[in-house]
Amino acid sequence: MNTMIGQLVANGVVYGCIIALAAIGLSLAYRIMNFANFAHGDFLTLGAYFTLFFAATSNLGFPLACVLAVLATAACAALLDIAIWKRMRSSGANRTAIMILSIGVSIAIRNALIIFFRPDALRFPVPVMESINLGGILLTYFQIAVVLIAFTCMLVVHSILSRTILGKSMRALADNPNLARITGINVDQVVRYTWMVSMGLAALAGIMLGLVTHLNPNMGWSIILPMFAAAILGGIGNAYGAMAGGMIIGLAQEISTAFLPAEYKIAVSFAIMIAVLFFRPRGLMGGT
Amino acid sequence: MQDYLVSIILTAGIYAIFALGLNLQWGYAGLLNFGHVAFMAIGAYTTVLLSMNEVPLILAVPAGMVLAGACGAFLGVATLRLREDYLAIVTIGFSEIVRFILLNWSSLTRGSFGLYGYPRPLEEMIPHEDYNLLLAGVVIVVLLLVYALLEILAKSPWGRVLKSVRDDEAVSVSLGKNAFSYKVQSLALGSAIAALAGSMLAFYLQYINPNNFQPIETFYAWIMVILGGSGSNRGTIAGAVLLWGFFSTTRFLEGYVSLSPSASGALRMVIIGLVLIALMMFRPQGLFGRKEELAVGK
Repeated sequence: MNTMIGQLVANGVVYGCIIALAAIGLSLAYRIMNFANFAHGDFLTLGAYFTLFFAATSNLGFPLACVLAVLATAACAALLDIAIWKRMRSSGANRTAIMILSIGVSIAIRNALIIFFRPDALRFPVPVMESINLGGILLTYFQIAVVLIAFTCMLVVHSILSRTILGKSMRALADNPNLARITGINVDQVVRYTWMVSMGLAALAGIMLGLVTHLNPNMGWSIILPMFAAAILGGIGNAYGAMAGGMIIGLAQEISTAFLPAEYKIAVSFAIMIAVLFFRPRGLMGGT
Repeated sequence: MQDYLVSIILTAGIYAIFALGLNLQWGYAGLLNFGHVAFMAIGAYTTVLLSMNEVPLILAVPAGMVLAGACGAFLGVATLRLREDYLAIVTIGFSEIVRFILLNWSSLTRGSFGLYGYPRPLEEMIPHEDYNLLLAGVVIVVLLLVYALLEILAKSPWGRVLKSVRDDEAVSVSLGKNAFSYKVQSLALGSAIAALAGSMLAFYLQYINPNNFQPIETFYAWIMVILGGSGSNRGTIAGAVLLWGFFSTTRFLEGYVSLSPSASGALRMVIIGLVLIALMMFRPQGLFGRKEELAVGK
């Protein structure tokens, strides 16, 4: 029984790391751009498929392909900002219009991937590894790598937010856009960098999801519920809240399988989200 | 050819009813319901399950509407005091949860095997091969009734308050209107209309399966409403006809392009996504809508 719970906790931490990385990007973008980006999940998918593409068409090796994929996804984010988001901002469209638009982006990306890669499930070209046994808990090297990389990323995000000019500008912009502008912050640039960081993290989360499960064009869209639940639980707009929220959602979903049929674990996210909205709508750590 | 025409009338008509429910929520009240398909699913499954257990359709259809309306009201109560994006997030989650429950509660819904062989209205009156023609008539009558109801509501004091809440909530609250309650009511009524469309869909398909109710169905309704013009019921119906026209003409064209069926279906969806992006960027009022009626103009 104890090892079973231990195994579920371990699975929950792995899954929680992935959800947390995705939710950090979602929350950062929400804070700066002031809208819920429903295409966020599809950038996870995009990152995973870029990796697959680079790994399959070059002999760079898998880790380098991952790095390239994160950069490529961030580049896509910058392009999308130039082509769409910046225009919407400068035309004064409000956030409901932009949210509806993000649904269009999501549908277009997801189906473009189906055209290029077919709808079937795929795997990364990496060797299948045996699990290692840590006191009765089985983990693959990939799962351990996911946890280590995710925690490193969280530290990096923390350093960016607290130590760099970009992080300070981001916080200033989120608190008061007009004041930020008149103090000489280049708003368009900060927004663009935020998109790139947010989507880079999404790409990384997508690669991790692909490593521990498999790839399909729906993979990112299908975790939109736990992702938003994590962001809301932590306090939407709060990057640290998203880390905690992601971890709690991941653990809650996995541990629930000890009591509930596994098919219902996604309902646990939903129940947590509704409970938070009823009783603590600003989330555990206070959102925007 | 006649069968084909009848099937287009049926699908466009059913989706027009579905989208009219969304127009009440989004066009009239400015509410972001991103899980509309959940209410269609609730309507379809409630009607079918009750009628398979000998409940007459005259009760089973309204039962689905009541259940869907109650769910819509619940989600509204949970989120409508918060920022408008929460409703969008929660409804999109709800539509996934409903689909998961329908897939996994096999003892009730037979899961992915789906349900079939259930009663349909006026079935014994007409030979089987002509049934779709009759059903098309029923759907058109229901569509006209829903349309008339919504037009009357739009011009009623209730509809005017709803639109004033959409345009400036603070003003309507200062006039003593309970904006929250109006929004919950429009959410509940729109969800009930979606359930009615769900019952009609079940009668038409003769077989329902949780995968009929994918999240994308919600966004078909969004495209219809936005393409036609948010806030305009006639525009919404036109949007439904245009979207199904697009689907059926591209299906004819499929023979001429060398794409696999999954790729050509996906290409169609890429176009849908791009249309939605272009509409929001360049013509958010749609083809027949009025810009001042738009909840996104603020």
